[in-house]
Amino acid sequence: MASFPPRVNEKEIVRSRTIGELLAPAAPFDKKCGRENWTVAFAPDGSYFAWSQGHRTVKLVPWSQCLKNFLLHGTKNVANSNSLRLSRQNSDGQKNNPCEHTIDCGDIVWSLAFGSSVPEKQSRCVNIEWHRFRFGQDQLLLATGLSNGRIKIWDVYTGKLLLNLVDHTEVIRDLTFAPDGSLILVSASRDKTLRVWDLKDDGNMMKILRGHQNWVYSCAFSPDSSMLCSVGASKAVFLWNMDKYTMIRKLEGHHHDVVACDFSPDGALLATASYDTRVYIWDPHSGGILMEFGHLFPPPTPIFAGGANDRWVRSVSFSHDGLHIASLADDKMVRFWRIDEDCPVQVAPLSNGLCCAFSTDGSVLAAGTHDGSVYFWATPRQVASLQHLCRMSIRRVMPTQEVQKLPIPSKVLEFLLYRI
Amino acid sequence: MGGEEETYVGCEGPDAIEHALTSGTIKAMLSGPGQFAENKTSEVSFRELPSHGLSKVCMYFTCKVRRTNSSTETPEFPTPERALELLMAVNFLDC
Repeated sequence: MASFPPRVNEKEIVRSRTIGELLAPAAPFDKKCGRENWTVAFAPDGSYFAWSQGHRTVKLVPWSQCLKNFLLHGTKNVANSNSLRLSRQNSDGQKNNPCEHTIDCGDIVWSLAFGSSVPEKQSRCVNIEWHRFRFGQDQLLLATGLSNGRIKIWDVYTGKLLLNLVDHTEVIRDLTFAPDGSLILVSASRDKTLRVWDLKDDGNMMKILRGHQNWVYSCAFSPDSSMLCSVGASKAVFLWNMDKYTMIRKLEGHHHDVVACDFSPDGALLATASYDTRVYIWDPHSGGILMEFGHLFPPPTPIFAGGANDRWVRSVSFSHDGLHIASLADDKMVRFWRIDEDCPVQVAPLSNGLCCAFSTDGSVLAAGTHDGSVYFWATPRQVASLQHLCRMSIRRVMPTQEVQKLPIPSKVLEFLLYRI
Repeated sequence: MGGEEETYVGCEGPDAIEHALTSGTIKAMLSGPGQFAENKTSEVSFRELPSHGLSKVCMYFTCKVRRTNSSTETPEFPTPERALELLMAVNFLDC
């Protein structure tokens, strides 16, 4: 069973440059499970990096200092070692003096998400009214989803616990904040539901999204915060309207559990990863599949893809340039793809990878593994064509249905719809 | 825009050629086997393209050449109102 199509010579694919590693410290006693690093995350402003180190611990490191350490001290770094010279004395951490934090969450951590009260660039602006829990300006929060269904909200600058959200009954498999700075949090759980929480209103739970028949694995907001994608077991891919909290549509196509999803930065594309060995790129506005990225060749027939096969794709992430995605599969490889080519442009070796995320500026990919470690690579980067920059600028504000009404030549139309 | 000729302002000299070759169309015009008038004068004029669009294109060329080797940032995005117009021009220029 090959990892690439027959026409591709695997040896000719460029290997990505390693930037660094953060290795988990040796466990005090050797446990078989509980060490997994199920999520890695970068803060929206690029200031911090967080990962679940296993055994109920989450580590938060200031990202630019972490990068500097990789350059100064070589690529290997054991977390907690003295070579990570970060200022620790200031427990009243502020934005300008970022501190490293190790947080004991009290239970196995399955999901992490950063939330900021500052809207991400080019997000819609939201009028925020603060209720009882008065967050200060420029609040940066970290939400951690635990095995027992609880969600704990921490202040990133001080490392203090702010809120404890209790309602889910099972593992919180994924968490995501709306990118518009409203501090709306969505949690996806094995209890087959997603819940919407308003963190500026004291963590009030606003809505339960029901529709999944089985475990929910992952969720992601569209960049304009109007849509949410949730994916789960039994081939489920759902799109929700986040103004009315209704289901927009189901996306059909995968043959097995769908475990990861991510929108492109202009919201025109949705990537989903499945145990059926494939990553699909969808048009979320029309529901059609635009690209298919395979990880096993010849591709398994639907029945085999729906059962046990050894090429489960575990994670997929969109780069901020809107042109590249990264996927993690069980064949011990990270693949970087261009959205207009059906063969990876770069690969990197990784055993037991579980999750991946691009850094905020898109220059680094972080991947977490089974033993609580994180590995970092330089991402393939090039100056995007001016046509693509125009396309992203237009698609950020225009869904597919509106684009189709534009009086433009068909070649430009196909380009705008990402159909070329 | 009113019918004036817009010569490729702001980029002159040897660097200008390198920048302009970012556009596949301009590259073809200046170096193709055909007998383009531009070959003789080394001047390319785009009469139909609006001047603000053309200046954006020039800025992009400069940005791309400067940043190709150290791509730590992406060039500035055009605003949505101008982007569609610019896209048509840039589609023609193939860059």
